[in-house]
Amino acid sequence: MRDPATGSLTAASNRRWQSGWRDWWLRRLPAGDQLELTQRNVYILPTGAGLLLGLTLLVLLVGSINYQLNLGYLLTFLIAGSALAALHLTHGNLNGLRLQLQPGDTVFAGQAATVRVTLHNPSRRPRWALALDWLLPAGTGQDRGPGPSADLPAQDRITLQLHLPVPRRGRHPLPPLRLESRFPLGSFRSWCWWRPAATLLVYPAPELRPPPLPLAAGSEEGRIAHSVAGDRDEWDGLRPWRRGDPLHWVAWKKVARQPEGGRDDWVCRDFVRPAGQRCWLDAAKSGLSDPEQRLSRLCAWVLAAEALELDYGLRLGALEIAPGHGAAQRQRCLEALALC
Amino acid sequence: MLSLRPRLAALPRETRDTLFLLAVIAWVLLLQAGQLPVWCSALALALLLGRGWLALRQRALPHWSWRIALLGLALAATWLDYRTLLGQQPGVALVTLLLALKTLELRARRDAFVIFFLGFFVLLTRFFHSQSLPTALGIVVALLGLIAALVNAQLPLGRPPLLQSLRLAGRMMLLGTPLMLMLLLLLFPRLAPLWGLPADALGGRSGLSERMQVGQVARLALDSSLAFRVRFEGPPPAQDKLYFRGPVLSRFDGIEWLPAPLGAAAAGTVLRVEGEPVRYQVTLEPSQQHWLFVLEATAQTPVLPGYQPYVNAELQWFTERPLNELVRYEARSHIRFSYGLEATPGALQPMLALPAGYNPRTLALARQLRQEIEPASAAGRDAGAALVARALELLRQGGYRYTLEPGIYGRDSADEFWFDRRAGFCEHIAASFVILMRAAGLPARIVTGYQGGEHNPVDGYWSVRQSDAHAWAEVWLQGQGWTQVDPTAAVLPERIEGPQRLQPAAGLLADALIRVSPGLAVQLRQFWEAVNQRWNHWVLDYSQARQLDLLGRLGLPASGTDDLARLLSGLLAALSLAGAVWALRQGRGRDPWLDLLQLARHRLRQAGYPVTAQATPRQLARLLQADAASARRWPALQQWLLELERQRYDPASTRQLAELRRQARQLDWPPPSRPSVLR
Repeated sequence: MRDPATGSLTAASNRRWQSGWRDWWLRRLPAGDQLELTQRNVYILPTGAGLLLGLTLLVLLVGSINYQLNLGYLLTFLIAGSALAALHLTHGNLNGLRLQLQPGDTVFAGQAATVRVTLHNPSRRPRWALALDWLLPAGTGQDRGPGPSADLPAQDRITLQLHLPVPRRGRHPLPPLRLESRFPLGSFRSWCWWRPAATLLVYPAPELRPPPLPLAAGSEEGRIAHSVAGDRDEWDGLRPWRRGDPLHWVAWKKVARQPEGGRDDWVCRDFVRPAGQRCWLDAAKSGLSDPEQRLSRLCAWVLAAEALELDYGLRLGALEIAPGHGAAQRQRCLEALALC
Repeated sequence: MLSLRPRLAALPRETRDTLFLLAVIAWVLLLQAGQLPVWCSALALALLLGRGWLALRQRALPHWSWRIALLGLALAATWLDYRTLLGQQPGVALVTLLLALKTLELRARRDAFVIFFLGFFVLLTRFFHSQSLPTALGIVVALLGLIAALVNAQLPLGRPPLLQSLRLAGRMMLLGTPLMLMLLLLLFPRLAPLWGLPADALGGRSGLSERMQVGQVARLALDSSLAFRVRFEGPPPAQDKLYFRGPVLSRFDGIEWLPAPLGAAAAGTVLRVEGEPVRYQVTLEPSQQHWLFVLEATAQTPVLPGYQPYVNAELQWFTERPLNELVRYEARSHIRFSYGLEATPGALQPMLALPAGYNPRTLALARQLRQEIEPASAAGRDAGAALVARALELLRQGGYRYTLEPGIYGRDSADEFWFDRRAGFCEHIAASFVILMRAAGLPARIVTGYQGGEHNPVDGYWSVRQSDAHAWAEVWLQGQGWTQVDPTAAVLPERIEGPQRLQPAAGLLADALIRVSPGLAVQLRQFWEAVNQRWNHWVLDYSQARQLDLLGRLGLPASGTDDLARLLSGLLAALSLAGAVWALRQGRGRDPWLDLLQLARHRLRQAGYPVTAQATPRQLARLLQADAASARRWPALQQWLLELERQRYDPASTRQLAELRRQARQLDWPPPSRPSVLR
């Protein structure tokens, strides 16, 4: 009997060794958002089933030798020849493909980023059962299902969507990708590793229930704060839900009355827009000490202020963004929050 | 059939795939059916049908306890039938059942792989029993089906047509065939068995047997499978001389005939031959026995590579180990011979022995015959010959019949033959004749073997089938030694002299064909035999000697396993190298025209011209043209560049790229690193 503790230790060190080797290999790969699969970057190795097939062939060969079966030799060699042809086909199933990566929209931390990969098959033979997936460090990607897979007709292109959960804000390099194929026999696995050059910008996660916006002193702070808090009497009407609207603005009763639909069908309360209002969103005045929580709150405030179409500015330590509003202002502020 | 297609198309993908796989497995089982016990085939078929029903109804697979129970049933049934689970035959039965059982557990991808690999095993086990051409074709079909199902399992998306998977599987097999045939069949060393064969690998197949009980040869007589083929180098002997000698049975215990004990009758076995020998070559099907069948009588040892044939005192030839492969040997036999002239009474005594208490009426008949020939022997004629002649006359005129269905004989089989039934086939006739001779005081014994054969004019071979199995008698006559007597010929001369042969029970189709056109049927059969002979020659009979011979003719002299292994690894290395070179060239060679343009850009850039990365040949030519600082404007080079452009874009251009490349080497290029740089 093997000591279970030692066993798991061995497995762990094995995994570490494996991932260390892989990291070393990946570092040598040039990064890029386009990749053409050639002889040089498509690898191939037998799978477990392939090894089992090899064992089967060995047993068949021994049987043929022992019983002196000439047809047994023929059968064995025919299967071996087919397996060899399969090796060639498996490699050819990837070889020559062209990949292009388009990083999707920026996302907030905690959401899943969508990355689109376009597979182009310039050759005149179709490609089958291509599986695309992130190459996450061993042990972390086990709980997720397999990535998307596709068949690709001759001289055609197809776009696959990959989702990547991003827990932290900041500018993250995309993890390496792996395109894999076991077609046609499953006895060989050919794959290619791809290090995308694109990065992913992740905004901080907006705080779920932020306190009211810190409006400048002397303005009608109370009124705005009141409406932001969602007083029943103060809203002016309903409008479609927009990304970044706090959940407690949603008119749930109205939503519940609709037959069905996703978030696009939600409606939420529309508040009085005090034109010309301006407010400074200051990290120092957020009332929180933890820097990440502070950024979360500022993020929520930026979204709220943008939703109210206030003029808002952002102060993050030394960095200061002049007040304004609109998509550009929002993006500038959120980027600053993401990267500071 | 018409309604089947849309119904198949309407099935869910998973159901369709499962049914296809089940059909392939059913085909594999069908190939196996002949060599499995009936219960095994039936159980496997029931499992497949049940699994098919589950798939059609889209029911859940049975609980694992069911599978355990069925596995237990399979094991128990195998044990009951064979009294062991080890060995070849129970192994084959078990693997087949496991294959059928595994279909009940088709969940993960791994299960599918196990099915395929078990399937490969079962295909191999088919060859234990037959390596004929039809078997090979059936196996190829099964392999195609298995690989297609495997391909289909690797296509998880949508509903790929089965035909596509089949086509791809066929392509893989075709791609794999030449390499494997050329490389491995030609070069893979033929090794001797790595360890001893299990004992039961040698039993279980019908053929002539070492012991004879009434009824056994009758079964063979209906079996039209091939025993061996013969090719005579000169003119063949007459049909009624074609006696291929097999086991000699001289010991009789009242019920069963057995060969003489080893070492008995060693004296008086001198064989004298006369005249020119008949030379011939025999291709013997695997018999799992150690007998060689040769014409009577063979004095010289047959030439059989790899074996050391020997002869016993009863003139039967043996090999030192059982023949479980197709073998070919060359022999020389003499039709005219005398044998055992000097046998001593002591040596002949066992040939007179009859167990007491059997066949009393035959003994009485023998006494009566002796009295009848008393006057003849008193007159100085040979009593033995007279006795034989009298007995044959009795057979000819006593209303005796040749039949393949003589019924079940009782304890005194000779009595029943001579007095009651008066019908039988060669075995009954020969045994009754020998008993009568012995009872009359004449040494006699039974010889079994094959008699006759069928000549195939297509390839000149004679086919001898199991239905040609025969039993005849030998009596010892004073002054003549052992003399062959075929009492069956007395009852039914056609059996021996031909050309009418006992036709095996033909199939329905063959029956119809024979009725419509007997000539065509014979021709088809002869053609088939010729094909089969080639198959035997090239595939089954393909030994290491033939392998080396073929290699020698191809100019690759090899003298043994070591040489073969060296050749094989050398050739594999060469092929791998060729593949690597090909792959390298594939990676580099995009466009030879672009390579030339790239060369021109590079040279001019080195010469100091402001060459952009996308410069066309014409732009390069203009750069040269506009080179005011240089006295030379390189007109030949300009010409070449325009020519390069024309080669690519002018449909009327007939220039070859190779020519341009050659010109590029001879051209005068601007020298690199010019001091003055154009601005």
